[in-house]
Amino acid sequence: MSTERWTVNFLVSRKIGDTKAHLESFKIEVDPDEYVLDGVERIWAFHDRSLTFRHACHHSTCGACGMLVNGVEKLTCITTIRSVTHNGGTLKVEPLRNFPVVSDLVVDMGLFYTRMDEVKASQVVPVNNSTLPYETVEFPADGIEHERLADCIECGCCISACPVALTTDSYYGPAVLAGAHQTESILKDGQAFNLVDHADGIWRCHSGFECSAVCPSNVDPAWRIMDLRRRVIGHRIKQFFGKK
Amino acid sequence: MPNQPSASRFMRWFDPRFRQPGTWAFILNRITALGLTLYLAMHLVMLGKLAQGPEAYDSFIALAKTPVIKFGELLVIAAGFIHGINGIRIALTSFGIGVRYQKQLFWIGLALSVVATAIFGYYMFFIA
Amino acid sequence: MNRSTPKPNEGAGLWLYKIIAGLLVVVVLGIHFVVNHMVAPEGLLSYADVVRYYQNPAVVWMEVFFLVVVVSHSLVGLRSIILDLNPPQRIIGVMNVVLLVVGSGAVIYGVWLALEIASRGSSL
Repeated sequence: MSTERWTVNFLVSRKIGDTKAHLESFKIEVDPDEYVLDGVERIWAFHDRSLTFRHACHHSTCGACGMLVNGVEKLTCITTIRSVTHNGGTLKVEPLRNFPVVSDLVVDMGLFYTRMDEVKASQVVPVNNSTLPYETVEFPADGIEHERLADCIECGCCISACPVALTTDSYYGPAVLAGAHQTESILKDGQAFNLVDHADGIWRCHSGFECSAVCPSNVDPAWRIMDLRRRVIGHRIKQFFGKK
Repeated sequence: MPNQPSASRFMRWFDPRFRQPGTWAFILNRITALGLTLYLAMHLVMLGKLAQGPEAYDSFIALAKTPVIKFGELLVIAAGFIHGINGIRIALTSFGIGVRYQKQLFWIGLALSVVATAIFGYYMFFIA
Repeated sequence: MNRSTPKPNEGAGLWLYKIIAGLLVVVVLGIHFVVNHMVAPEGLLSYADVVRYYQNPAVVWMEVFFLVVVVSHSLVGLRSIILDLNPPQRIIGVMNVVLLVVGSGAVIYGVWLALEIASRGSSL
């Protein structure tokens, strides 16, 4: 933290009940090395107690505080104010795209969570299946079967950024497909292929790669979708020639 | 509900603001796909002039040599290059090849498309 | 919260066909372009040139093959764009029939046209 002080005009999306969403301006003083979420909390604490938003852990583990910051998906608890605006500048905070807005910055992620369950996306995974194949992460080879939390924190930023998800809520979206990829890497039984080989699964992706660009947690959903495609095609060709 | 995905929001597919090169490639691919499909339909209909005999076809070709039509043809050629080269990029990345270099592949493909279109344009307007 | 059953309308087979047809279009379009506009003197810009060109059976086969892959690639791609709009299953059924009729019609028309032009060689 620094002693520097900035005045920033937070433009916060407000939507109460059935009213139309609109932007409300809150000019506040901040430390530029504070995070966007800190600014939103300060608005709630000192300016308007009716402001609704989701957050919990403040350290990029719970995935609750994903929002649109100046038009781009950010996990607001790890996005410094300095990185998205300047002294005297504006900072627009809106709810994630492609999820129904419940109120202000809160979106309904129920369908997304249901789908994560459908593809059996696990939150705790064996360490050897927890990283991307191109990563070089060493885990202790002590004979103990270690587990760790899966990288995906289910923040929904990838679905918000996906251009295809703009027009169809039947599309599973990047996080769910990435979850299916991880499930297959653990179970290796080919069942996950059936869960994503349809018009609302991996073939709906049009390679915008926005999901990987906004993912705050190193899931690289686009890489996983592309890898799933390759593997599903291989699996189907083997099936066609009668191999299990 | 507001913000809910909806078919009526399809124009936002084409909004390049705050987007990555991957989406710009998607936008270009989609616009060129629709344009080329329209051109294909027109091309097939126009080739029907061949069945009507030499006068009909040759007078159509005379029209095709006018600068405005030639410029339209150049747009089709540009669309063909953009869609074709980006299509190769999508095919490669969809089989796990070069996924982590998809941005570089986009820029290389776009540069190739611009150069190829410029060569065709020079040939069409200054040589042929 | 609405919940729809995943649609089976686009699977690995159709997607792979779209990709392979697209790559074939790139290859055959290249040949089509070089032959029609570079190898052929003056670039097949007169009726007589076109008829003469179609006297070669390999040309007729190549153009028909090109027609089939380019029409199918474009219509499967168009279908994919429509699927992005999440149409109801009933509309998808209608769309499938319309695209099949349009595609078949375009190919039949194209084949007829190619054979018609080829048959006019004797009048040259």
